[in-house]
Amino acid sequence: MIKKLTPWIGYGIALLILPQLFDSVLGISLLNQLAIAIVFALSYNMLLGQGGMLSFGHAVYYGLGGFLAVHALIKIEYEEMYFSIIYIPFIGGLSGLIAALFIGSFSTHKAGTVFAMISLGIAELVAASSLILESFFGGEAGISGDRTYGPPFFGIEFFQDSEIYYIAAVWVFIATLFMYLFTKTPAGRLANAVRDNPERAEFIGYSARWVRFISFCASGFFAGIAGGLFALNYEFLTSENLNAVTSGRVLLMAYIGGLGYFIGPIIGAVVLTLMNTLLSNYTELWLLYVGVMFVLTVMFLPRGFAGFIMMHQLAWTQGTLNQLFKPYLITALPAGVFVLATVALIELSHAEETLHFLGMPLNPESAISWSIGLILATAAFYATRRTLPQLRDAWDTANTISEEEGESS
Amino acid sequence: MIEVFIFATLNGLVTGLLLFMLASGLTLIFSMMGVLNFAHASFYMLGAYFAYSISLQFGYWTGLIFAPLIVGVLGAVIERYGLRKVHQSGHVAELVFTFGLAFLIEEAVQFFWGPDTKGYQTPELLNFPLFTLFGQEFSAYRGFMIAISISIFMGLYYVLTRSRIGIIIQAAITHPNTVANLGHNVPMIFMCVFGVGTALAGLAGVIAGPVLTTFPGMAAVLGSIVFVIVVIGGLGSLAGAFIASLLIGLLQSYAIASDLGMPDLLNLLGVEFERSHPLHDLWTITLPQIAPVLPFLLLVLVLIFRPTGLMGKREQ
Amino acid sequence: MSILSLRNVHKNFGITPIIRGIDLDVEEGEKHAIIGPNGAGKSTLFHLISGRYGVSEGSIAFKGQQIQNKQPYEINRLGLARSFQVTNIFPRLNVFENIRCALLWSEGYKYSFWQLLDRQKRLNEKTEQVIAQIGLEKRAFYPAGELAYAQQRALELGIAVASGAELIMLDEPVAGMSHSEAENAVALIRKITAGKTLIMVEHDMSIVFDLADRISVLVYGEVIATDVPENIRGNSRVQEAYLGEVVSDA
Repeated sequence: MIKKLTPWIGYGIALLILPQLFDSVLGISLLNQLAIAIVFALSYNMLLGQGGMLSFGHAVYYGLGGFLAVHALIKIEYEEMYFSIIYIPFIGGLSGLIAALFIGSFSTHKAGTVFAMISLGIAELVAASSLILESFFGGEAGISGDRTYGPPFFGIEFFQDSEIYYIAAVWVFIATLFMYLFTKTPAGRLANAVRDNPERAEFIGYSARWVRFISFCASGFFAGIAGGLFALNYEFLTSENLNAVTSGRVLLMAYIGGLGYFIGPIIGAVVLTLMNTLLSNYTELWLLYVGVMFVLTVMFLPRGFAGFIMMHQLAWTQGTLNQLFKPYLITALPAGVFVLATVALIELSHAEETLHFLGMPLNPESAISWSIGLILATAAFYATRRTLPQLRDAWDTANTISEEEGESS
Repeated sequence: MIEVFIFATLNGLVTGLLLFMLASGLTLIFSMMGVLNFAHASFYMLGAYFAYSISLQFGYWTGLIFAPLIVGVLGAVIERYGLRKVHQSGHVAELVFTFGLAFLIEEAVQFFWGPDTKGYQTPELLNFPLFTLFGQEFSAYRGFMIAISISIFMGLYYVLTRSRIGIIIQAAITHPNTVANLGHNVPMIFMCVFGVGTALAGLAGVIAGPVLTTFPGMAAVLGSIVFVIVVIGGLGSLAGAFIASLLIGLLQSYAIASDLGMPDLLNLLGVEFERSHPLHDLWTITLPQIAPVLPFLLLVLVLIFRPTGLMGKREQ
Repeated sequence: MSILSLRNVHKNFGITPIIRGIDLDVEEGEKHAIIGPNGAGKSTLFHLISGRYGVSEGSIAFKGQQIQNKQPYEINRLGLARSFQVTNIFPRLNVFENIRCALLWSEGYKYSFWQLLDRQKRLNEKTEQVIAQIGLEKRAFYPAGELAYAQQRALELGIAVASGAELIMLDEPVAGMSHSEAENAVALIRKITAGKTLIMVEHDMSIVFDLADRISVLVYGEVIATDVPENIRGNSRVQEAYLGEVVSDA
């Protein structure tokens, strides 16, 4: 029991301590973004990772949740409704759920390509309608509310982003917990079964469609909660929040983090949000790097970062993990140099004046800058390739099953 | 009224045929490999950009020939070193890979050519009105677009029905698993089909670039529409893709050209609404406004009521 | 009373008739084998009874209820379970989860998303019992997709019988097994179908004659004979259509 609870206690403590460590305006705003992204990405994984439904329109439920949440804020402002804004994410969740109930009723018939295409069609329809129906969605400009009009919550009036963070943290914790528990229920486990083999599920008494529908609705609900958190944090929404770009971003997060592992989307949400906020301060080309990273992940780490970590489970249980440390280091050094040198070259090709890369002044006009970069990149590339065989050998040794069957799950 | 109709038809035809050039490659790729290539429109964009760069140096016509070739080779390389690797991880991974590719190509285009619109021009040779009807000009370039598209369609039809490779491809379309048993080098065929499909997309980009403007968002504009066409037409059906392309092209063109809308309908029914009515937005919708949405509406309806598409035989 | 009765069942694919008017009664508690040459329609018949395909004509009654137009899951809920010729399991779930999922409906959990599986003591005990029955205790927490072939076949069987269905249909349960594996499988089938009705398609005649109480012979979509094994062996029509060659092979 204690062992099961430890990660949750750790998660809760982390959520509480982080704002103390990063208490700058930037830090808090980053944490709020993280909170929203984590819930959103986890809800997406309920669809794709757990339920096998590839959606290109998950932002619909997120965005609709957000819009309804802003409308609720406006109603509170005009005193047509009277409740504390801490419940706003729930409004978002309900809106997402209602949208999912409706759309899921006809889209969950099949998984696979049909589902993916319907989700794409719905996403485009909703995004386009959001520009047409101005009175609800506010057109290009979007709609905005004000979170400070609601009744104070124990004297807090939510002028500060940091006050919002604690609401968000509580919601993130609850949402994560419930999404995790969902995977442990009959409906959650059946979602995996239907993902693996919808046909067989029908022969053990379950309608694959109903199983998908339930996951779909749950996923819409939690996406709506994420949208509600967004509404609370930013106090405005535009049609961008429910368009294809946002849908694509959540797919990226979940996939990079690792589908099929509960923790995967959390990792993905953290990595992409950090890249989004931090990298974009340094370079205009950050989206290019995200794109490269995504494509490479799909190619070389089909189970994402979480899958990469889980690959070491066998070595961990056998106690051979330490054998891998040195080979990893030997490969990582030249590989790191290669990546940095390549990035430097890319930045150099885009720079108009001298830029400072890791403290080194690089001049796009200077042949020295270029040749150093090129030589470093090439040398590091070949050095990395040279190290690969020893890494592979070390990997094989560490993962040779030594005793009779170690249990894996 | 009649001139509006004629020009809308002609423009719809231009768009429809252009869409078919993209859709035919996508259909070929899907039929053979089972991959819905999300990045297909990105190759179309690359075609336009390559042709633009080439045309600066060597003129439009050199670009017309070489840009599709470059795109085709690039497509084949991506299939060989990217897609083939991802293939082991299943269809979802492939779809996600091409999705990532589309994302990456858009960023790469901005990296190499910048975020602004390029002044990719129609060739001097075709800068004259082909004919003038009711005082409106129909440019020779649009006529050229129709001619190219139709000749591609005919060429494709000829290759598929008459040549040996075409017969293998057709066999692969209807019986995807049996071609390998006949002793053909399937990976090689896959690579070639992907190359040819992307080259067709590149060609579409070359001829569409000057008319539809060459900018980094041009793939996104057409990307999902082409998807819609392939699905509506029935995955794997070239004839279906042809019909769906024209259907969508004409539908959009008519919707844009007409200035009808809900107000007209309501007038006809004798219903009036006040401006302050909460559903005011809905009651003032016009057809041109919803023209971009129509394909997606059609997509959802087709998928719900006829998941195999108009001409599709295979369950997806 | 017969637990399953087919009346004039037809199935066409396009214009091709595959099942051409089958009348068949399976008695409660009997072990009924269906044999016939390749392409006779044995698997199609299984798919018709279990609801994967709809019939083109005719009726199928299970325990007195018409089931010919019901969905597979509805038929399963009435107490009819089946296995597949090609292994059809949940590859990414472990053995334990495979069996537990197969038990969920019959244990009354429906689509519950408010109960935690690990807290369901009775369910988990039952799951362990089934796993012990099929002899996969040591592999309980291995992903099903990583098991050896014979183990996957055992799991396939386990999924079919877990729910305690009254009528169990096995489609070539020992196909592709070595001789000793097949022997184990037959013992297993005998054990877990004790006291239940069994319908089985099988090519291995020694197993058929060993297990079955009655045998139906299916040729070109028609049942040409239904009888006890001794009589089938002696039936001249059967020998002519099918048995002669196979028995002489064996």
